Amino acid sequence: MGEERPMSDVSDQSGRFNWRRLLGRLLAAIVGIVFVYAGVLKIWDPLHFASDINNYQMVPWSVGIRMAFYLPWLEVLCGCALIFHRLFAGAVAITTFLMVIFIGATAWARMQGIDVSCGCFGSASSNLSLTWHLILDGGLLLALVYVWFTRERVA
Amino acid sequence: MGRLLVRQILFLLGIAFLPAIGQAIYYRNTASWHAPPADSAPVSVAEVKKWGETILWIDARAEAEFEKAHVPGAIRLNEDDWDTLLPGVLAAWSEDRKVVVYCSRLTCNLSHEVAERLRNEVALKNVYVLQGGWEEWEKSGR
Repeated sequence: MGEERPMSDVSDQSGRFNWRRLLGRLLAAIVGIVFVYAGVLKIWDPLHFASDINNYQMVPWSVGIRMAFYLPWLEVLCGCALIFHRLFAGAVAITTFLMVIFIGATAWARMQGIDVSCGCFGSASSNLSLTWHLILDGGLLLALVYVWFTRERVA
Repeated sequence: MGRLLVRQILFLLGIAFLPAIGQAIYYRNTASWHAPPADSAPVSVAEVKKWGETILWIDARAEAEFEKAHVPGAIRLNEDDWDTLLPGVLAAWSEDRKVVVYCSRLTCNLSHEVAERLRNEVALKNVYVLQGGWEEWEKSGR
């Protein structure tokens, strides 16, 4: 399943050094580190994360608490996949989907007048304003889109 | 590429279940699986008024809102100034006092976060969130 090129290969098909691809790798690694960090914080305190999910008032508690146990591990796995460039396309697709969901849920909560902390970084994100969360999430999403379009494709 | 992508996605989605299930088993007796923990359920103004005068009120709103008006006897505590304000709360707290945290209105989340930190980090018992917050308190005629 890890059919991408080796991590050190940032040259294009003609053998020339590809800066766009290198930037894509760097961005993928940065996004991966952020996902691992966010996931580990939530794994550390899943009940706090369950409470954060519950505050969005989008899913019942019984669903939210199960998500709170599952999503952080998925974030860590995908983050590692982005850092180490394994299962890369799958990890980019999942993290992009997660970012869209996070941003959508936050925007939805805001529109409903629900004053939430996003819970993106577990209890460590309590002091970050919603605006900063949205800026951070938007930046990560843009980076992932760039990574998606500059990744090596398997023929 | 399409099939490879789907396989990778399914593999990652599947493999994440393993540690998640392990952790859920570890938490099986401490997590509340079907409903939020009882003490985090908000309490109504009417219910709180029955508790009498011994309540320790915690105002989780911004300082400007607190200065305008607050529940009589309330003490400020929020996440931004947690370390500065917490000693004042602890000085006023005693074991026989129920703690009720409020913020602006029904949809605000600050009271939940402060209540949760008081329970988890300070290990206070009997910490409640006021349903509807300050808005509801004002409506009730105080």
